[in-house]
Amino acid sequence: MLETLPNFIKALRANDVDISSAESIDAGHAITKIGIVNRSLLRESLAQTLAKSTDEKKRFYECFDLFFQTESIQEEKSSDSNGDDTKLDEEKISTDEPGNLIEVMQRFDESELLQLIASSANQVQIQNIRLFTQRGVYTRRILENMGIEGIEQILYTGSSEGQYDETLLERKNHLTELASEYVDRQLQLYTANAARNLREEILENTPIGRIDLRDFKLMQELVGKLAKKLISLHSRRRKVSRKGDLDIRRTIRGNMKNGGLLFDTIWKKTRVDRPKIIAVCDVSGSVAQVSRFLLMFLYSLGEIIPKVRAFAFSNQLGEVTEQFDNFELEIAINQTIHEWGMGSTDYGGALAELERITSSQVDRKTTILILGDARSNYGDPGANSLKRLQEKSKRVIWLNPEPRSFWNTGDSEMQRLSAYCSQVHHCRTLRHLERIVSEIARKTV
Amino acid sequence: MASSNMADASESIKKIQNQFYQIGYIASDSIATSIFLAQSLSKPILIEGPPGVGKTELATAFSKVTERPLIRLQCYEGLDEAKALYEWKYGKQLLYTQILREKMNDVMDGAKTLQESLDKIHDFDDIFFNEKFMEPRPLLKALKQKEGAVLLIDELDKSDQEFEAFLLEILQDYRVTLPEIGAVNATKTPHVFLTSNNTREIGDALKRRCLHLYIPFPSRDLEKKIIEKHVPTLNDDLKEQLINFVHNLRNLDLKKLPSISETIDWAKVILLTNVDTLDNELVKSTLNVLLKFQDDIEFVTTELPSLTKGPKL
Repeated sequence: MLETLPNFIKALRANDVDISSAESIDAGHAITKIGIVNRSLLRESLAQTLAKSTDEKKRFYECFDLFFQTESIQEEKSSDSNGDDTKLDEEKISTDEPGNLIEVMQRFDESELLQLIASSANQVQIQNIRLFTQRGVYTRRILENMGIEGIEQILYTGSSEGQYDETLLERKNHLTELASEYVDRQLQLYTANAARNLREEILENTPIGRIDLRDFKLMQELVGKLAKKLISLHSRRRKVSRKGDLDIRRTIRGNMKNGGLLFDTIWKKTRVDRPKIIAVCDVSGSVAQVSRFLLMFLYSLGEIIPKVRAFAFSNQLGEVTEQFDNFELEIAINQTIHEWGMGSTDYGGALAELERITSSQVDRKTTILILGDARSNYGDPGANSLKRLQEKSKRVIWLNPEPRSFWNTGDSEMQRLSAYCSQVHHCRTLRHLERIVSEIARKTV
Repeated sequence: MASSNMADASESIKKIQNQFYQIGYIASDSIATSIFLAQSLSKPILIEGPPGVGKTELATAFSKVTERPLIRLQCYEGLDEAKALYEWKYGKQLLYTQILREKMNDVMDGAKTLQESLDKIHDFDDIFFNEKFMEPRPLLKALKQKEGAVLLIDELDKSDQEFEAFLLEILQDYRVTLPEIGAVNATKTPHVFLTSNNTREIGDALKRRCLHLYIPFPSRDLEKKIIEKHVPTLNDDLKEQLINFVHNLRNLDLKKLPSISETIDWAKVILLTNVDTLDNELVKSTLNVLLKFQDDIEFVTTELPSLTKGPKL
């Protein structure tokens, strides 16, 4: 078992369970205490030493069951005979003598064959398998390691002499099947997440508007993941910024009981600046998907971005904060898009309305975040309203999902509007969104 | 060798379960396993799980089983060394300096130069910073306990990240370093339990040093055993209905799901009402024992018919 442990840990790591070497040492100690014969006990002990969160536990159990599905066969065998014998067996097997395989093929005991496959797989280092295209190569290597060439030789000479050993051929095919099944399982174990990671990386950089509906679920998880990362990145800074200088007045007052000797020091607390964010999202056709993920991001960051007021508009503008407070994120977003997403965009009307609703509350702490393509259908782009809003607020950030080269073409009013923005960003992929949201989070603390 | 070990291990785990049963805590296999591992590897256990499944109770039960004192440290935001580890008894130090003021002249007596008197004071400088003037707080207390202690660090997720880092030395080596005194080693290794409700992710460094035990809501059988232990006079039929009802509740989308302790309370209430079967009226009138939010109570009241008569899951 102790030889198998490193492989198992490798498989766990491939399945996104983070394991440090300290933890693998613990697992080794636990195994020496627990023994390996009681499987459920082993499973539980390893789970407690290796998987350290609920998510990881779930993946651990899946991985354990898959991994020891093949292992158990070996163990069944080794529990029949005592430990030394199995070791001898393995040595005998590994000598690659074709004769050996032929004997086994004559008996054709499936568990014995599987055991052979497993030990050969170890020798060809199956744990290094990376891609599904390598399946064939590894299967062949395992078979060769077992001495399949001897069998093939017999079949070949047999067929040239006109004597066809059909049973042997059938058995050989069956063996090949067993080996390739084994390789499939190992591939699943060691590369479970490689494909997913690749896909996530691609999704992060794909323009949101072009992402297929079927990938949305993955995208949502991805947003959650990124949000978590941002939270851990920024929440610490926030703690630090709270610490202040010595509050002399309160220190002296508080230490009167000590005869004026300053034992207890009292520190000034920096007042936490409670910034306000007003997010205004265009939810008409073209921009709706980007809006969806921006809102998702902002509301997943509740821990570090205190208060977000959300507005949605296409031809009319309305506040949707309440939806987000009362419903689950996904429902709220769908409702928003459904409710406000009709009609062609009217920037002039929307910005004027925004000014009317929020002007009493916009102050020097407010960040206004506008997401839209600035295509006003040749109507009034609302530059005057935006100008007045910018004068009152801390900053106005405009996010435009169109590539920069499209700005100011046709009915795009980016040039006029950007004059009244503190920052203008091109914002098309999840990666862009992450960067922008991270910056907002940094400046709010 | 492995097989004899194995037999020992599963026997010890059975024994642990038995011991816990004696004092009224029903330990599932995974709980017993982690107690066994914690004892044999002398590692702390980090316990996570929904509120009310007996995380804190486990540490209490363990201290009863091992007959060691339970030292509890409740975490909260802003918890720091002075509250968790030790503090100087400032008042006492102050008082002593006042009393000893006259003595100072004797000490200084004969010192001719400033340098000489400074040296003389230096010989005494540690008298106010030794263990006599130290107020040990839970962590230090646990390390100094002669017969070993059970240290419960409760709701670790409520404390700050800095505090977590500060725990690392204790959890790994059972030792703390005090600036004025130096390293203090545990007289006997304490058994450490940490609990977390997962309001915040616990750091990897800390997790690495602990066994991780997740306690979920109990299975039907386990919960039945727990009720049996705590409310032995409740009849079987009623017990079955009660557990079914609670388990159905846990499948609903409620603000706060009923925990084990609430199930036990409810069982006691049902016992007092002296009925033979759970009917809607009874459930409705006692629902506030199980559920702690008005919204939940209202929601469940409307769903009652389907919950009590619904198929057994």
